[in-house]
Amino acid sequence: MKTLGMLLFLSLACLACSVKPEPIAFGKASCHHCKMTLMDPKFGAEIVTSKGKVHTFDDINCMVNFMKEKALPQEEISYLMVVDMAKTKELIAAQQAFFVKGSSVNTPMGSGVVAFAKVEPYEAFIKEKGGELLTWKQVLDLF
Amino acid sequence: MRDTMRNRCVGVVFYVSALFLLLSSGAMAKEWKLSPKQSIAEVVEQAQAGDTLRFVAGVYKQANIIIQKPLVLLGEKGAVLDGSHQHEILVLAAEHITVQGLSFQHSGRSSLNDLAAIKCLDAHYVRIINNQFDNTFFGIHLSNSNYALIEGNTLKAQALNEYELGNGIHLWKCKNARIVKNTITGHRDGIYFEFVTHSTIQENISTKNMRYGLHFMFSNDDEYLNNTFKNNGAGVSVMYSHGVSMHGNRFEENWGESSYGLLLKDIRDSEVIDNQFLANTSGIYMEGCSRTQFHGNEFKNNGWAIQLQASCNDNTLERNNFQGNSFDVVTNGVVVLNTLKNNYWDKYQGYDLDKDGLGDVPFRPVNMFSTVMERVPAAIVLWRSMLVFLLDRAEKVIPAMTPENLMDNQPRMKPYDYN
Repeated sequence: MKTLGMLLFLSLACLACSVKPEPIAFGKASCHHCKMTLMDPKFGAEIVTSKGKVHTFDDINCMVNFMKEKALPQEEISYLMVVDMAKTKELIAAQQAFFVKGSSVNTPMGSGVVAFAKVEPYEAFIKEKGGELLTWKQVLDLF
Repeated sequence: MRDTMRNRCVGVVFYVSALFLLLSSGAMAKEWKLSPKQSIAEVVEQAQAGDTLRFVAGVYKQANIIIQKPLVLLGEKGAVLDGSHQHEILVLAAEHITVQGLSFQHSGRSSLNDLAAIKCLDAHYVRIINNQFDNTFFGIHLSNSNYALIEGNTLKAQALNEYELGNGIHLWKCKNARIVKNTITGHRDGIYFEFVTHSTIQENISTKNMRYGLHFMFSNDDEYLNNTFKNNGAGVSVMYSHGVSMHGNRFEENWGESSYGLLLKDIRDSEVIDNQFLANTSGIYMEGCSRTQFHGNEFKNNGWAIQLQASCNDNTLERNNFQGNSFDVVTNGVVVLNTLKNNYWDKYQGYDLDKDGLGDVPFRPVNMFSTVMERVPAAIVLWRSMLVFLLDRAEKVIPAMTPENLMDNQPRMKPYDYN
């Protein structure tokens, strides 16, 4: 019984310190850069540090500016996530996402950059709303 | 003599022609009476510029009505335009349109488009007066429209999820707008400004909105006066703007984890004067705020009256009342570049021997324990304990953790009467 309890405790302790992205609580969470409350589940981003701290952002320019201002070193960032506009609320890795800038859609902090996980939805989006395709590297240089 | 004659002649000609113009235009303007069975779009098509469309009582289940000429839309009592939860209701795309006394309900919701009950596109000089909006996604949505008057409207929305809500009154890239005496409840942001300049927001009541009562972004040289912001998700937020005058507003009961009465972020050359901050988690939270005047405000029963981040400088806090707040001023830095003068602090324990109404010893509003809490928020469980009391006293005598320079040299002995 004692060992079982010990095991349970250990597994719980491991759970608590695992580093992984967390879903964004829209309506409650606030942006760690501009302080605005996150409302629109089409937009949003998240940084998870190697220590497991989660920073949420309402717009992609907030995330990029936060990284630059805090000068976060690469090795301290475990995850860089952005919201998939086609699937709202779902987070995808920024390095693998497709970004569109310059469409007619307004983002919460005016960056105008939205992210997609797959090719078809972003192509359909560009057809309807305009804009051009960017890679994550280009997005980093934008702000 | 000849000159005056000529002047008189010119005058007479002018008056006659003015009268003629007036009469002729009066004769041309026509009034159209609409009933729910008629097609609004058809009447709009037939109407001439300057005509009036009068809506008799009834529910008009018609949407996407686009108006591209200066018309007056008048609603009689009980005239309701219904968007059937799918469409935008009115789109105004011409100058000098008036919409008065109508009810709007059930506009469509969309995750991609900002569907609104009334949308104005490049429509200058619109007047939207005394209308009612029930359960619309966005209520009134203006883009690129200058000199708008939005007065006496009532907007109410309800939704379970935050993304099903739009803003009550939403302005984007507008100039010289006036937003007066509206009541906005249950929207995402009550009033939203982005790239709006030289505009006035006056005597509105904005309550129970999901995010902010009023939200300013990149909007310069605006003023908001005598409004009430109560019980909103996070109060009022003014960001990335300059030249904003905030006078005589009430910020009440904005409670919550990341909630404030007023959030100032990257603001300069602005004024916060004669406002009341009552029972908010944080009265004012400011970050990157400079050259701003805070005069004659009343801070009562807030958790924090002012959270002053170290990135703020050159601000002046003068003649304010601080009463019944758990913490008066909190800061996260040691260097302080702001001025505090002649405020009333109910926590001041000094004396006034020369009887000039001002205390003889300075008051340091930053409490040691609040500095600890800035670093370790969970420490609040120790608040009001004996240990904390002793530490605070020791800190008052020999300041070690709190910024030494952040003090009011001449605190007032009695509160100002701002009622």
